Amino acid sequence: MTTRASLIRRGAIVLGAFVTTSALLAGCTGGGSGGGSGETTLDVMVGAQDLSDEQIAEFEADNPGIKINVVLYDATRLNTMLAAGDPPDITFGNAVGSANFNARGLAADLTPYLKDSNVLKEDDLQPVNDAFRWDGTKSGDGPIYGIVKDWSQDNALWYNTALFDAAGVPYLSDTEAISYDELLEIAKKLAVVEGGTTTVYGLGMEWQWSLYGPIAAMVAQQGESLFNDDLTKVDFTTPAAQRALQWFVDYGKSGAGPTSLNPLPDGSDFSTFAAERMAITQDGYWFGGNFAGDDALQTVRFAPAPTMGDTPVAMSFGGAGLWIPEQAKHKDAAWKFMEYFMAGPPAEARASSGWGLPSLKSLADKLPQELPYQQQAYQVVQGQLEHTVPLPDSPYIGAGLLQDTIDKYLQQAIKGEVSVQDAGAKLTDELNEALAQGVDQVG
Amino acid sequence: MARKWTRYPKRTFYAFVAPWALGFLLLTAAPMVYGFLVSLTNFDGSSPRYKWVGLNNYIELFGDPDMWAALARTLAFTVIVVPLTVGGSLGLAVIINRRLRAVGLWRTVFFLPSVVPVVAMAIMWKLVFNKDSGILNAILGVAGIPPVAWLIDPVVFYSLIIVMLWGLGGGMIIMLAALQGVPVELEEAARIDGAGRWAVFRHVTIPMISPILFFQIVTGVIVALQVFVQPLLLTNSAGISTVGGVPESTTLYMVQVYQEFFLSNRFGYGSAMLWVFFLIILGLTLILLRSSRSWVYYEVDTDAEREGAAR
Repeated sequence: MTTRASLIRRGAIVLGAFVTTSALLAGCTGGGSGGGSGETTLDVMVGAQDLSDEQIAEFEADNPGIKINVVLYDATRLNTMLAAGDPPDITFGNAVGSANFNARGLAADLTPYLKDSNVLKEDDLQPVNDAFRWDGTKSGDGPIYGIVKDWSQDNALWYNTALFDAAGVPYLSDTEAISYDELLEIAKKLAVVEGGTTTVYGLGMEWQWSLYGPIAAMVAQQGESLFNDDLTKVDFTTPAAQRALQWFVDYGKSGAGPTSLNPLPDGSDFSTFAAERMAITQDGYWFGGNFAGDDALQTVRFAPAPTMGDTPVAMSFGGAGLWIPEQAKHKDAAWKFMEYFMAGPPAEARASSGWGLPSLKSLADKLPQELPYQQQAYQVVQGQLEHTVPLPDSPYIGAGLLQDTIDKYLQQAIKGEVSVQDAGAKLTDELNEALAQGVDQVG
Repeated sequence: MARKWTRYPKRTFYAFVAPWALGFLLLTAAPMVYGFLVSLTNFDGSSPRYKWVGLNNYIELFGDPDMWAALARTLAFTVIVVPLTVGGSLGLAVIINRRLRAVGLWRTVFFLPSVVPVVAMAIMWKLVFNKDSGILNAILGVAGIPPVAWLIDPVVFYSLIIVMLWGLGGGMIIMLAALQGVPVELEEAARIDGAGRWAVFRHVTIPMISPILFFQIVTGVIVALQVFVQPLLLTNSAGISTVGGVPESTTLYMVQVYQEFFLSNRFGYGSAMLWVFFLIILGLTLILLRSSRSWVYYEVDTDAEREGAAR
């Protein structure tokens, strides 16, 4: 029944399908201005819990003409969006680790915006924001390329007193830092293994988040540094670095906590800790924000960062914040969102929930002190401030590569395939090669 | 020579060929050329600061132990998975090609797993393989076997093979179609001549379906070499994109490539790896095609056809 009419009809259907598909494809690229009403669609790339629907509605009501489109943060997705030249207008990023982005010229300089802002002031920024500064050769000084939303000394400890009681282990001191060797001994005592299955872990190191951070802190506590002065070379063969690696290998072999060889199903310590299946976790002050609810775990306490040497060192391993890509299409609107998110109601809500330390001096007095554990954590965190130093952030290597290379050789050493000494040597060679490529790239 | 035989004007030919030709040029040829150009740079994917580095990426590639290890692993994986898949799907097809009760049900049951989306399947297996709460270890526990860490080196390599075999049903359907195309009179004739069941299968059925077997092997090899998403999904971590957490023994070639691109931000080096891999796959396919002449039986005489075409 191939009549002329049916052919035309078929042609129309094909054409229609084609037009629809093209429209869909055009929609996918997104990011442009929406509609003809002069309305701006702001692509905001943040984590799932960073921004509530109420906050979005509030921001949109305060800023008519700007609509927020949330893109869930995913490092790979950000990479591909940057590669495609169509990045989000504002995106999540850690202050420590921003050097690599900044050296590659990917972030927009926020200094001029900061100068003109009535809300965010340069002298109100806590020193932790300096990790977002980049002077063309190193981070810490110069123009600022991002603002921190909250931060913590991430090598501190949270522990569950009920599990300490059950194992007959005395509580950790609120003022005196425990040594790593002692910590591992306690962790072994606290771990409960039944028939090959671990029911309670002694100590979680947030293995899948950062290995570089804790190791760098351990080395700094012994008065040394993993990197050379201009951050172009790394050395894991020094006695200080070897001691840190050895500790991680001992920890991995002991089975007292999760590692990449024995990972947690969700890749982070929280759910296991909250289920009372982990006695201690190395996490910063922010972690306590999880326990403010009525039905949350009540038996939690905070302790200062453990040490491996004579120098007490507390470090922020990240400093979560926002930055605006250089190729963003709506920088002014993005800055408005930055002001709202960093100094407006969301910032106050974060500070008063205890979800990290605020990045603004003016919010410092908002930290919660109602519940007993909040008062205890507040005291400990005040004591840590004087020992807080920045984590070295090399512009010549990405945080992901650093993490995974360390992980690869730690795994081999834990399995006994290489000695700690060889692992350190191979790690040094491989990272130095990547660093040399980075220097060649951006130098 | 006879005059050229034409029925339609040339532009009709080009109009009909154009969709494919355009698709090939825009979606295959252009990306390949682009990929080759990128492989000659140290491009990091996003920064405007990159340089031409000539063939340095290729030179580095030949001295990269991680690349060689991943390649060897991938070839071993292929050598294990392809025979198991082809043999397994043939076996299943033979089983359900008989007069069974509720044969339609069996066919559906065997085919069903290959319709399940790969992500859903991988998540299901991740739960099955879980060391502390997975059903597999629970069953082993009943038999008194201590829990096995299925998702961790080195066992995860075999777990990945199990996951790959889960999709046998897709191949089974194709094999079933092939088996049903085998003329009954040939098998009958062989049986009358005194051939046993195995002899009939080996000397009549297999040769008759050898083109399908060959097709399954070639596509199976190509698919197995390029396996990428399953190792990623089987990894014990929070997100799908945490490619750095893939255990060493399931870091197949494409996983390694992905790491170079999106973990190390080395688009140039990753592109070089892809080009080398393309040549390897091309080479393997040519070898298989060449070998097919000695064992694949076509009912139409391909040699005569080739001569005809050359004439």
